[in-house]
Amino acid sequence: MLTLRYEDGTIRLEGLDESDATVASLPGAAWDDRGLVARAPAWRYADLRDALADRGVEFEDRVASPDAERLSLSHAYDLRPYQEEAVSSWREQGDRGVVELPTGAGKTVLAVDAIAALGVPTLVVVPTIDLLDQWRRELETEFDVAVGQFGGGEQTGGPITVSTYDSAYLRAEDVGGDFGFVVFDEVHHLGGEGYRDAARLVAAPARLGLTATFERPDGAHEVVAELVGPKVYSADVDDLAGEHLADYEIRRVEVALDPEERAAYEEAQGTFVDYLKRSNLSLRSGSDYRKLVMRSGTDPEAREALLAKQRARRIMMNADAKVERLGRLLDRHREDRVIVFTAHTDLVYRLSERYLLPAITSETGAAERREILERFREGTYSRVVTANVLDEGVDVPDANVAVVLAGSGSEREFTQRLGRILRPKADGGRALLYEVVSEETAEERVADRRR
Amino acid sequence: MLRKDLLRVSRAGGGYHPQFADRSHRPLAARAIGVFQGHVDEPRGRLDAALEDLEADADDFKLVRGFAALLERDATFETRAALPPERVRRTVFEAAESVGGVVDDGDRAAALATAADRLGTDVDAVEASLYADRDVNEVLSSFDPRWDPDELLEQYNLSLAQTVLFDATEVRIRSSDPKRLVSAVKRLGLLYEIRRRGDGAERELVVTGPDALFRRTRRYGTAFARLLRSLAEAPEWSLEATIDDRGTDRELHLGPDDVSVPGVEPVAEPTYDSGVEADFARRFANLNLDWELSREPEALAAGARAMIPDFAFDYRPGGTAPDAPALRVFFEVMGFWTPAYVEKKLDQFGSIDDDIELLVAVDESLGVGEEIADLDHRVVTYSGRVRVKDVVDALRAYEDDLVEAAAASLPAELVPEADVIGLESLAADHGVSVDALESVAFPDHERVGRTLIRPAVLDAVDAELDAGLSLSAAESVLEGYGIDDASATLSRLDYRVEWEGLGGGTLAEK
Repeated sequence: MLTLRYEDGTIRLEGLDESDATVASLPGAAWDDRGLVARAPAWRYADLRDALADRGVEFEDRVASPDAERLSLSHAYDLRPYQEEAVSSWREQGDRGVVELPTGAGKTVLAVDAIAALGVPTLVVVPTIDLLDQWRRELETEFDVAVGQFGGGEQTGGPITVSTYDSAYLRAEDVGGDFGFVVFDEVHHLGGEGYRDAARLVAAPARLGLTATFERPDGAHEVVAELVGPKVYSADVDDLAGEHLADYEIRRVEVALDPEERAAYEEAQGTFVDYLKRSNLSLRSGSDYRKLVMRSGTDPEAREALLAKQRARRIMMNADAKVERLGRLLDRHREDRVIVFTAHTDLVYRLSERYLLPAITSETGAAERREILERFREGTYSRVVTANVLDEGVDVPDANVAVVLAGSGSEREFTQRLGRILRPKADGGRALLYEVVSEETAEERVADRRR
Repeated sequence: MLRKDLLRVSRAGGGYHPQFADRSHRPLAARAIGVFQGHVDEPRGRLDAALEDLEADADDFKLVRGFAALLERDATFETRAALPPERVRRTVFEAAESVGGVVDDGDRAAALATAADRLGTDVDAVEASLYADRDVNEVLSSFDPRWDPDELLEQYNLSLAQTVLFDATEVRIRSSDPKRLVSAVKRLGLLYEIRRRGDGAERELVVTGPDALFRRTRRYGTAFARLLRSLAEAPEWSLEATIDDRGTDRELHLGPDDVSVPGVEPVAEPTYDSGVEADFARRFANLNLDWELSREPEALAAGARAMIPDFAFDYRPGGTAPDAPALRVFFEVMGFWTPAYVEKKLDQFGSIDDDIELLVAVDESLGVGEEIADLDHRVVTYSGRVRVKDVVDALRAYEDDLVEAAAASLPAELVPEADVIGLESLAADHGVSVDALESVAFPDHERVGRTLIRPAVLDAVDAELDAGLSLSAAESVLEGYGIDDASATLSRLDYRVEWEGLGGGTLAEK
């Protein structure tokens, strides 16, 4: 009899012969000369099962381990109407697809509801350590089961397991047959070729993707639609603002470079621009930039140009006036809860030392970053400075002021950062976002472009 | 393995050539080691700056960074601080809150003083400890390089080649140590198939991973890189890889000239599965037969698996000319193993290609001789040790087959152009063994011993010889006609040799 088995990221179809026409007609299946067996990619498992059932072919399904427990799960959340709608339209699409909601709209809550509804072993894949902690805390609070963790220095599986994309990529072959449901938080990460394997090599028939922005210029959403399913529900900030999200206001603050900084900036920027002119590169397209980076491997002048550009960016980001201006903003918001962002790790530490602010960067160890966020959440700390590591979806409750120093200008980063302070506030106070940029520099043009 | 951004590769001519370091880079390697040695007890920030200075002197900064990445494995960094930094931070940030937030120098001094007070120390110690555990502030406490400059170059080249393989989608390998290769492939969770190259005599292992069936993937790149480490310990090997170079397929070729493993002498002697095999190899080598024994021959495809026989015997009766027929007989010794092993072996034997000659020595106690013979392979049985004579007899049977086949390919009559020709050189001309000429007629020649001679030549020789001529004079007459088999020819012409003591002799009528 035909037997389906999970093996190293693939489904083995035992009991078929090479000449059997069934092989070619089954979704995703192909004949593998290396093992003299037919296989299909693990992510086609649900299709495969359906196709066999449609044709009335008898088969033994050994993909799911026979002793896999049915989980009896319930939770205490009261879903908002749009969250309920999102879950039911996902279920109508055969438990597959992506839900698009703005940051702060409670994507975790609807995933918890979906997990409880299905009651099967579930893998939750998230992009950062902070989200790993956050999801685990949430799941442990709601459900009465052991929650496993892959990533952040731990590798323990459980009926419900939270994993980073990195760990999911690395462990896919070992654990890809253990789950009936997989949730991808910030699902656009599956667009990256490597992370894609976290979905490809996993057999779980039920799949849910969560994101704030489904459509993407790099076409990642097409891959996501194939591996996870199409967009099944969407609501944007305007749909939810006022009703479910806090109101917010953006203030732009311009600071001037001091004469010394200005001179150094002009000099470095000049070196860079001269090289571009000489070599007919415009840098209007990403491919020109790649060309420059490639050339810098062999051409010392190109490398010097690239280094000059980095110097200019560093001067601009680290402008003394910005550091001083931050002091005035902190002074103005002594009574508020402030989170300060900057892309530059060295600047984070400079600010941390200058204003004695708790800092979180990629260098911060897991235990310490957990402690700092915990203390920020409970109010022991009223301010935090961080590099980009908190970009995605991390829950920082009750921060009502954000200061962004030297943003990189990517639209997604900008909206996600905004999302951070869009959490509904208890007293309904207006959230504030400061964007601090240097005058008359490339950085200012980036900020303009975003408007 | 290096980080991918340190990869140095040339795409000249559409190829893909890792830029290996050579002897000319030895001074740079030595200086890189020196920079580390010179920065013991200094913070990492200063070490990094010194390495950056070295980059400026090198023709390629990535080479310096590659050396540094390797040397860092032997460097130990430690945090040197008066107080545990994490505790200091917690105290300082709490103190900052307690003064109502730090926004200027005054608040800062107040907060630091409060923190110093709580920690029972002074403000300077607090400031110095605050971020002493950041990477850039850590101190290089010791550096014990495992490599000298030459070994560093060697390790760099190995690491560089491994890094290139990160982007490989498939590798094709030949190795003088296929057993080890196959077990490494399995250990790394990879799959392989055996493919014949070119004329089919050479076999290579094509290595990919399970998911490669459905798409070209770089997922197994790190496993390929690990495989290279095992492969490069063999004395003879070659590797070809298909590299996915940002969407373009490029071919990579590597061999022992490019990559070796520092501190590892290639293992020249193959290892044996069992004492039975080792014993057999030694005894066979003492016999000086026409068969040449080679140990650890190439892998054979047996269904989906590779089977690597213990030995191969090569027989080249027609010499080593390219079109001369050659026969390779693989030899497998089956000792005392478990029933499951025997089952697996029989399965393998049944699935190897039909044109492969396989001779199997089976332990009598296994009782599977007939089953193997049914699978169309020859069998010798043994108990205790394999008798060389039995194997030689089995090989003779192959020889007979070969002679028969060669004879069948020859015409019934042959008329060589030469007046005088040795059977061996005639056989070589036709690419057959001398035995195969047994059934051929030579209408224009007479066969004298192992030489064919036209009757006219025999008459001419006969005219020049007489009884009483010294043997050495007779031999030079014969040589003049190109005949080197003196005794057979003299006998044919009815002379015998009368020997004189230990010296020469003279011809006499029979």
